[in-house]
Amino acid sequence: MFKTLIAPKFLGLRNGLKRSQGKTKIKILTLTGSGILFWVVLFFLFYRVLLYFSSQEIIGDILARHLLAMVFLIFFSLLIFSHIITALSNLYLSQDLELCHSSPARLTDIFLSRSFYTVIDSSWMLFVFGLPVMMAYGFVYHAGFNYYLSLIYVSLPLVIIAAGSGIMLIMVLVRFFPAQRARDVIMFLSLILIVVLYLLFRFLRPERLVNPDTFTSVAQYLGALKAPDSPYLPSHWATDLLWTRLTKYTGSQVLNHLLLWSTASAMGVMAIWMAGLIYFNGFSKAQEAKRRSPAGRRILEKIVALITRPLGPEITSLIAKDIRTFFRDNSQWSQLLLLGALVVVYLYNFSVLPLERSPIKSIYLQNALSFLNIGLAGFVISALSVRFIFPAVSSEGQSFWIILSSPLSPRRFLWSKYLAYLLPMLILAEVLITYTNYLLEVTPFMMALSSVTIFFLVFGIVALGVGLGAVYPNFQHENIAQVATGFGGLIYMIISSVFIASVIVLEAGPVYTILSAHFKGEAITLFQWVWIVSSFILVVLLNIFAVQRPMAAGLKAIHAYEG
Amino acid sequence: MIRFENLTKIYRGIKAVDDLNLQIPRGTIFGFIGPNGAGKTTTIKMMAGVLRPTRGRIYIDGVDIAKEPSKVKRIIGFIPDRPFLYEKLSGLEFLRFKAGLYGMKGDGLDEKVLGLLNLFELTEWADELIESYSHGMKQRLIIAASMLHEPKVIIVDEPMVGLDPRGAKLVKEIFGEWAGKGATVFLSTHALALAQEVCQQIAIVDRGRIVASGTSEDLRRQAGVEGDLERVFLKITGGVAGR
Repeated sequence: MFKTLIAPKFLGLRNGLKRSQGKTKIKILTLTGSGILFWVVLFFLFYRVLLYFSSQEIIGDILARHLLAMVFLIFFSLLIFSHIITALSNLYLSQDLELCHSSPARLTDIFLSRSFYTVIDSSWMLFVFGLPVMMAYGFVYHAGFNYYLSLIYVSLPLVIIAAGSGIMLIMVLVRFFPAQRARDVIMFLSLILIVVLYLLFRFLRPERLVNPDTFTSVAQYLGALKAPDSPYLPSHWATDLLWTRLTKYTGSQVLNHLLLWSTASAMGVMAIWMAGLIYFNGFSKAQEAKRRSPAGRRILEKIVALITRPLGPEITSLIAKDIRTFFRDNSQWSQLLLLGALVVVYLYNFSVLPLERSPIKSIYLQNALSFLNIGLAGFVISALSVRFIFPAVSSEGQSFWIILSSPLSPRRFLWSKYLAYLLPMLILAEVLITYTNYLLEVTPFMMALSSVTIFFLVFGIVALGVGLGAVYPNFQHENIAQVATGFGGLIYMIISSVFIASVIVLEAGPVYTILSAHFKGEAITLFQWVWIVSSFILVVLLNIFAVQRPMAAGLKAIHAYEG
Repeated sequence: MIRFENLTKIYRGIKAVDDLNLQIPRGTIFGFIGPNGAGKTTTIKMMAGVLRPTRGRIYIDGVDIAKEPSKVKRIIGFIPDRPFLYEKLSGLEFLRFKAGLYGMKGDGLDEKVLGLLNLFELTEWADELIESYSHGMKQRLIIAASMLHEPKVIIVDEPMVGLDPRGAKLVKEIFGEWAGKGATVFLSTHALALAQEVCQQIAIVDRGRIVASGTSEDLRRQAGVEGDLERVFLKITGGVAGR
């Protein structure tokens, strides 16, 4: 029965690959290509770092051992985290669960097959990206074939422990909250966790570790290096076992072997036992609907009324619907926390720049940084857009028929989406650029140039998001966050980055000429003026193109859509 | 009121709808019946402007949907077979949203929305999110939404799926009333008893083509069988009764 229950996953994958043609094949090739590129970069990055470590006597091995412990700890934490998220969907929320539970299959078989799905869904990515790191260790330490076998031997129990912990945690959570709520709770907790970790990491300023001169003693430096490692953690046992393989240490590792495998076995047994007790109750509860809070409703209504007051009924309807859906879908609005963290870290980085200690003349550096900052801010806006604007069309989901069958023309639909996102993004971009320029104390010319450039860049970035989102829609998504991580999202990020870079490149020369003429007190020649004006005209044309092309392509895609 | 001219839809080389020609007068309840995969939903989606024909034209109230889609959509109400809705809106909000899409506003709107919710027995659930509605409730909400702008043509795909007998009776009565006021109801269904009961005109479609059409009596004559519509249908589409 277990085999039958897991068959659909593999059959679906096989059929998808078998029947892939044209565009799908290009998608697969692009994704595989990007994956391999990332894989190679990661391998060389670790290889270089470990090679450098190995050249440092005494401290080199300690650093490499600590790095391995950190990598295992991060992988282990990510494994638990991704098991929690995927277990909720696989065990409680998937649409085919009704079919499984209404079949004569034993509950244990259903539980095991769903846990198997969870392990596959949660672990493959980590294995793919963990392998280059581990291979870098293998290459630098000239490890033999045994090392790679040990890698499998160590990873297997680690995955089982992470899966057991994640799945049991989710079963307990769903026992007390219906699955819909549990998802909200997890999404919220995990976002808080990510934000806290992210901020903590930023405020600890790991860049100091690269420069040991800032520490008063070697002991203090080594103390700062110490990874958050504990002998009670399974990742520690795994690190020890692998390290002995790498360094060919001959001492006994029996305890680590026993700890790793006995914990994994215990986790497996406990999870099956717990499933027998509470899994079905949780699944049953997952079918229950939740009721709404009247207080939240009132606040939301006020926001909607305020924003849509000056608009006509068609656009008001669309925007009001989008705002309501956004704030009621916890997986959506809670990502605003990430946005907040990203912006805080971005601004913080500027506030701690040691400009006064720079060997380059500060005023040059400030203006150069301000110029580069246009690109950085543009990139931050693109990163936010891929998450919030690119899925704007896909967010209609399977209800897209309502729009298509309504008198609202595709053009008005698409431009309504564009307008809805343009204003908040313009405000955010201007706040970012003005505040960072204020921190950098740049010249009024740079302040004006950055503000105007980012202002026009946002028009293009938003149009690219809305337009390409319509060209690469995903109306079948179960979670809107999936939309940004697909092929279209990748294309959007590439095109958006190229667009921003092109604007920066076009402006760089003229800005340098103007600034150096200003600081040297020289006049700008006629030829230089022609060049400067032509460059800025090209920038304007590029911006117009970035708005018009993607929106036209998006419109064409909606016209051709045959859901 | 509704006219198809050589309407054809080809999906990856397969003709789902094959050269349909049809004319349906105002005030008619028209049944569009056929076996699975006959092209009923494809036809309906093309009429609703959700799908583009490969060839041919659809005229609603004399207007070509390909040329003036917005004008046509203002006068049609579309009820699909699967009630996909915005799950995070309440029933009331969804109806207001739908009204907005049709450019409806003003004092009478809320009254109308509440009246429809009441008619479809959804008043108690008006403020609850659609995600908590049952299948039948979602179906009733879609039907209510399709009537908001008082369409001249109602296009319905499997209207009774998920409805309880009370809901089904209500919907039948509403279609009758609507047709009595001059609206045309284009109804696709597998429920032959329903077609026989409410439709004045019926077309049987098979493999994308209309194989018989007319009143129930006409169809019996064309099939050369007596009895209910099921026997006629099976005879025409090559089912057991035809053997």
